[in-house]
Amino acid sequence: MEAVGIPARRSTAQRWVSRVREAGPYVWLIPALGLFLVFRLYPVLYGMYLSLHTWDGIQVPRFVGLENFAYALFTDDLFRMALMHNVLYAIGTVTGKNVLALFLAVLLNVPLRGRAFFRTTLFMPVVMSFVVVGILWTWMYNTQFGLINAILGLVGIDPVDWVGDPKLALWALMGVDIWKWYGYHMVIFLAGLQGIPVVLYEAARVDGAGAWRQFWNITVPMLRPIIGVSVTLSLMGAFNVFDIIYVMTQGGPNNSTLVVVVHSYLQGFKFYRMGYGATLSVILLVIVIIASAIQIRLMRTEKVD
Amino acid sequence: MITRRMLRPSRLATESSRYLVLVVCALTIGYPIYWMVQQSFKSKYEMYANAWGLPSQIVYQNFTDAISAGMLRYILNSVFVSAGAVVIVLICACLAAYSFSKFKFRGGIVLFYMFVFTLIVPAEVLIIPLYSVVSGLKLANTYMGLMFPYAAGGLPISIFFLKAFFDTIPTEIEEAAKVDGCSNFGVFWRIVLPISGPGLATIAILQFITAWNEFVLALIFVQSPDLRTIPLALMMFQYSYSVDWGPLFASLSMATVPIIVVYVLMQRQFIQGLTAGAIKG
Repeated sequence: MEAVGIPARRSTAQRWVSRVREAGPYVWLIPALGLFLVFRLYPVLYGMYLSLHTWDGIQVPRFVGLENFAYALFTDDLFRMALMHNVLYAIGTVTGKNVLALFLAVLLNVPLRGRAFFRTTLFMPVVMSFVVVGILWTWMYNTQFGLINAILGLVGIDPVDWVGDPKLALWALMGVDIWKWYGYHMVIFLAGLQGIPVVLYEAARVDGAGAWRQFWNITVPMLRPIIGVSVTLSLMGAFNVFDIIYVMTQGGPNNSTLVVVVHSYLQGFKFYRMGYGATLSVILLVIVIIASAIQIRLMRTEKVD
Repeated sequence: MITRRMLRPSRLATESSRYLVLVVCALTIGYPIYWMVQQSFKSKYEMYANAWGLPSQIVYQNFTDAISAGMLRYILNSVFVSAGAVVIVLICACLAAYSFSKFKFRGGIVLFYMFVFTLIVPAEVLIIPLYSVVSGLKLANTYMGLMFPYAAGGLPISIFFLKAFFDTIPTEIEEAAKVDGCSNFGVFWRIVLPISGPGLATIAILQFITAWNEFVLALIFVQSPDLRTIPLALMMFQYSYSVDWGPLFASLSMATVPIIVVYVLMQRQFIQGLTAGAIKG
């Protein structure tokens, strides 16, 4: 490069070149950051902003401070009911999915004829849309024509109104959720089981430990991190559930399957109380973060080496 | 080879009960799906009268009904939106992940964790502000109005996974290329990307399936009937065909069977993609 011109200009050019070179790594991030800022970060912040306002989606939002939060936490029976349903849903599905998945993973973790077939089949509902699963199971649960009642009829049990009975509906939905997802958790556990050294089991067998003891003293401790991840995922899924509820019951009958996200959706898009809907989302987000943090901490305090 | 030890009664009992449990589980999963498909080949009368048996004769009427109700258009919409989302997320995530993986720079760690941390925040929590943003950008009720939020949603896991993937590529290859005068981007484009097939395929499949099955955002952003993606179309069929199940089941099959076929053919990528974050996390 020729040193033409005033020395001050040249050092500016040199500074620019080095600045561009330094910016190099950041340039690669521009597309991702752009996407992220516009469609992730800004909505999170805007959602928090909206939660402090009343807004019908058209007029200018009106600031109401913590009024929405107070309403949600102290006055809105539906919200508290929805949250209770989420908690029940969480307890049911997290337990169901993980216990079933772990059991089947252990069963499948041996050289077995047709092992790949079982893994493929059990994982299949995971790739299906929850809408498809929901509609399918609406038919399975049908009081008159459904397969479930048909099977129960074979052993002489009267037809049950799975989805129409407020006392049963939430549990019926939980069953569908577990049905769809346990293959996913099973695969995760299978991967974890592969990582457990076989020598541990052999040593235990030599010491006379039976299958049950081997499971509790070797498998479970070694799988702890994976179990943690699996539980976290299913926990978050249970609190954020929307698709299956909306497809199968829309929160009914009599709000017996109402969950927070459905409530938030209805408030925002059916009743045009978008500020309040945002408030519900913010509360849910806080709850999910706290619940996940607690759960992760709980699983980490008992470290086994 | 069957040894005498394998035939011991207690062993046989364990193995057979193991198989029994597995078979029962496989049936509970597989049968409903199979039932859904074979139901769509029955005439309307037979769907009621013979709900659980095989069709006495194969009928295609349900499929033609579904197609005249617009199913092909809806499938096309889903294809567009999902493919678009995949392209966008691959571009953004590859560039970002490569940068995080190969360049050591201040703020790299911070930004990486910022991306990954947002895994905690699902789309369901953002429905209202996202709606506002998308409408504000005049993207409501458009293909792009779905593609970009879908891509943004898939960004954290994609960056996380691709960074780990790029980390496994030996630096000697890149250094050799750089010695030959290749720029950073050149190394990325000409050396690293071509050998990243498996990683990219995994992420592409994961994002495609996620977008294909996505429901909430589609429900909120799509207003015109001919823009519906498959999940919305199925909901509509469920309402309008509450007495006439034929087209409903045909649509369910049309929506599901292709996915299942591709899944069975590419199991490893599917399973790997969908569980990628969980196992590495």
